[in-house]
Order: sequence, then C-alpha cells, then structure tokens
Amino acid sequence: MQLTCRGRCWKFGDNVGVDGDMMPLEFALQRETRLETLAPYAMTGLDPDFPKRVKAGDIVVGGKRFAQGNPHIQGLLGLAAHKVGLVCESIPRGSLRNAINAGLPLLPACPGVSQCVESGDEVEVDFRSGRVRNLTRNTEQWFEPLPQALLEIVMAGGWEPALKRRLATT
Amino acid sequence: MGRPVTPGEIIYPEPDLITTHDWYVVNFDAALRKLAVDRLHAPDKVLISTDHEPVAVSAQAAARQRTVRDIVRKYGIQHFYDVGRGGHGHIFPMELGYIAPGMLVLAYDPHVTNYGAVGCLGISLVVEISEVLACGSAWIRVPETVRVNLHGELQRGVTVRDVAQRMIGDFDADLVDYTVVEFGGTALARIDVDRRMTLCNTPVELGAKSALFETDELTETWLRPRIGERFQHMRSDAGAHYKAVIDYSLAVVEPQVAAPPTPDNVVGVSAVAGTKVDYAFIGSCANSSLADLRDAASVLRGRTVDPTVRLIVTPGTQKIAAEAAAEGLIGVFIDAGAILTAPGCGPCAGGRIGPLAPGEVSINTGTRNDPGRLGPRDAEIYLASPLTVAASAIKGRITDPREIIG
Repeated sequence: MQLTCRGRCWKFGDNVGVDGDMMPLEFALQRETRLETLAPYAMTGLDPDFPKRVKAGDIVVGGKRFAQGNPHIQGLLGLAAHKVGLVCESIPRGSLRNAINAGLPLLPACPGVSQCVESGDEVEVDFRSGRVRNLTRNTEQWFEPLPQALLEIVMAGGWEPALKRRLATT
Repeated sequence: MGRPVTPGEIIYPEPDLITTHDWYVVNFDAALRKLAVDRLHAPDKVLISTDHEPVAVSAQAAARQRTVRDIVRKYGIQHFYDVGRGGHGHIFPMELGYIAPGMLVLAYDPHVTNYGAVGCLGISLVVEISEVLACGSAWIRVPETVRVNLHGELQRGVTVRDVAQRMIGDFDADLVDYTVVEFGGTALARIDVDRRMTLCNTPVELGAKSALFETDELTETWLRPRIGERFQHMRSDAGAHYKAVIDYSLAVVEPQVAAPPTPDNVVGVSAVAGTKVDYAFIGSCANSSLADLRDAASVLRGRTVDPTVRLIVTPGTQKIAAEAAAEGLIGVFIDAGAILTAPGCGPCAGGRIGPLAPGEVSINTGTRNDPGRLGPRDAEIYLASPLTVAASAIKGRITDPREIIG
C-alpha cells in the first residue's frame, strides 16, 4: 500500500453520509465486503460518474463529519477499492476505524483543507508526513498524520491482513 | 496498561473482561476460523450472554442457540449465561460482581458503556472484538474526556431518561465524538446506580466512545456487597485536563421525546402529544432496571392500557424480574393489560421478538429509533421515559405523564 498519492482531487462537502451518499445502504445490510462488488457504487449517491472516472492515486477531499452516520464499513471499502487516498476536515470515530480497517490511507483531521483545493486540481498527499500539495495552485498545507501504529495497519492493507500478520508473529 | 497514557496515543490495552452477546458468537467464530485461530487468548476473561433472543422464536434461532453452546464449549469460555441465567449482558454482570470501578471491559456491542454506572470503562470494538479474543488486545486511541457536572433537581414527571435525551439533543456531536463523557456534580447523590446506567447508555448515540460516573457513597453501598474488598473509588486526577466542562441541570422543564428517525431528534413531549400509538415497550439496556419498572408501575397501577395498544414490558435481568415480582410490580403490569417478555434486550434487539407491523407507530424506552429498529422500515418509533411510555400506553396517544400522575 502506497503512502503517497498523486492525482485528481474529488472534493465533496460537509456531512457526507456513509450510507446513501458513499454506498447504497443495501450493501451494509447484506454485510457485503467484496471490493469488486462495492467498487462500481462508490460515491454514486453524490456523483454517479465517480466510479467510472476516478483513477488510482486520486484524492477524495471531504468536509466536516465525512462518512457520518451508522458506522458501516462499505462506503470506506468502496473508496479503498479504487486505491484513492482520503483527506477530510473531520471524520466520526466509527468511520475512522472503518477507514483504517479498509486499508484506506487518510488524513483524518485537516481543518480548512476544503478551501485550498477544488475538484479537478492535481494534488499530491504524503500520508506519512501529513503534507498536502496542490500542484495546480502551487500551495502546500501540513496536517497531523495518522499515528505510526495505524499507518502500519493501512500499509498492511487493512484490518484482516494486519491481524494475520500479528497472529503470525505472536 | 500500568502506565499513564495521553489522549491521542494509540495503545493496545488488555481488558479485564471481554463480553459478546448470543447473536455475535457465530460471527466471531467464523472470523476466527477464517484466520485459522483455534483457541482464545484468555477464555477465562470472556463473558457471553444469551440476551438478544433469550427465547428462540424460530427454528433457525433454536439451531443457532445450539451452535452457540457448541462454540462456548469448543473455546472453553468460562462465563456463559445462557437462557434463563443472567439476562441482559450490559446489566447482570454488575449485579453479579463481575464489574468493579477502574476495570476496562471490551465488547462487541456499543451499549457496554452501561458499566460506567459503577466507574468501569466499557468500550465497544464491534467486529474487532475478534482480534481481542484471538490476541488479547486491539488498538485504542486514548480518548479525551468531556466532564459533565450535574446539578439541580428533577421536575415532577421528568426522569433521567428525559435529561439524557435532552442532553444528546443539546450537546454538539463534534464535541462529544470519540470522547469519554464523565459524570460528576452535586446532583450525583440523587441519582442511584440504576439511573446512572441510563445516563451512561445514551451518550453513545451521539458518538461518545464511552461514559462513566465517578464513584461516590452510592456506588460503594451498591457494590460492596457484590465485590467486597475489590471496591476502590475512581475519580479523575486533581487538575485533569478536560476537552470541555459542561454544567448541566436536571431541572429539564418537561418530559422529552426522541422523534423519528434518530435518537438526537429530541423535542418536548408537548410537540408530539396526541400522536396515535399502536405499540409501547418498556425495557432495553437503557431502561430496564428496577427503578425503571417502579416508574412504569407508578403510572400503570390501577389503570389499564388502551384497547388499541399493546404494551410489552421486559425486565433487564432475571434478578430484576424476581425483585419486580416480589414488589408486586409484575402484578401491576399484568392487571394493566401488559405482556411480559423474557429478561434481556426485548424487542429493541432489532424487533426479532415482538416486532411492529408495517406503518405502525411505537413509543418505547429502547436505545434507538432508526427506521427498521423494531422490524419494518416504515414503522415510526418515538423514544421516551418509562413514565411517558406508560402514560401513552394508557391513553393510546403520546401523553405527558404529568396528566396522569397529577
């Protein structure tokens, strides 16, 4: 799992809902976790073309309380399936945990980031250092990265591969 | 951990107890088998309770109960409270002396925060409880604390459930997210352990990681007979840093109702009074203590449930059911036309027991009112105190209990 992303910015607003906006609720109710099944529905509640146009390495930028609602993992798995990175102003704790478990690289607390990027900008994010560079506008911001222990889970590919590794070493 | 930790730090603490309930046992077993794990890290620390569906109501449920018993045997799980033994897993472990101040309990289910009523930190990890079962721990980001100082007096017809609902309506979700809500203040001496469970249960709906009370004489009086010398007082360090300190008065002016579709959609009862209800329920891990049953009986005594309403009462635990019977409360419910279910979660566990019919309206003391919580997604659920639910059951419409208790 790469801890840097460079690609197109996909900006969404505040209070993006994990159910409905990010993924149809039915997948959560069915406990569907296969990436190939979820990928075609990622973010379609807000942008029906997202799954067709997004590319690996792109950056999703969210506002406050990104992935809010009942903490279902499916919306986060949908993003992880496209190998994008996530930068958001804030994220509720259940969805933070789900993002890490989904192996989705993220910067979870980036106040003001929405003002500095627009959809379509070329953006580079280093999830290890917390640096967000807007290459289109030539700006740079720094935010608190995930703690090392959580970066390692993301790098392993999420909860299940990380747990397999833990079991193998204990 | 045996060492001080700071908010934001990632730690892997080993819990004193791990709890899961009947429905999740099959899932964690499947997760462990997929990982080729065939033994638990500490089966002597695992407590399982058959509370979500204590009376199997389908062939599948009966088969699942048998599977759960097999899984418990396979892993050598030491604390198994099956049908008719304990009752609700967020309540009876406190009655039986499993829970002491200062303990850390990790659980599958979000409402494990009830243990905060006696100063124990209960944290839900949902599916990651499998990692705790296999490896003995899972990561936790050390939370900040929001201190809530309670003061003032409860008004007539108003219970701590109303205060708790008003509180989650008032508090900023962004402030409470991922924090532990710690209760203290001058009103503590008037809030017994039963009612503390209600206050520890509700902040979860706003995104709090957990909630707990500092211990006091009431805690000690309640716990000493149960845990003896294991009792110790737990209070925050002098000069502890809080993310916020909130002064909150119990003197909420009127009973509070959470209207559909979310628990924080809270209004005064007058805003929804008169709404026809088909179904009322008193129980759940939020409101099934002896104090709650006494509240409900105080309204129902000598009165009858409206002929168009069915009222279900679920005592939290076997012990609470026995005490309610000894006090004559069960007789009050039966005389009023209510039906009793087996101790445990009651209908609140997804409506598997006693669901609503499509389009029906319920008022109840459950934990959540999302569409589908009691079965059909188009049924409407209002949440309220045992007093308001009992009053509404009598009138057939959402009713301010002060109209009945005078």
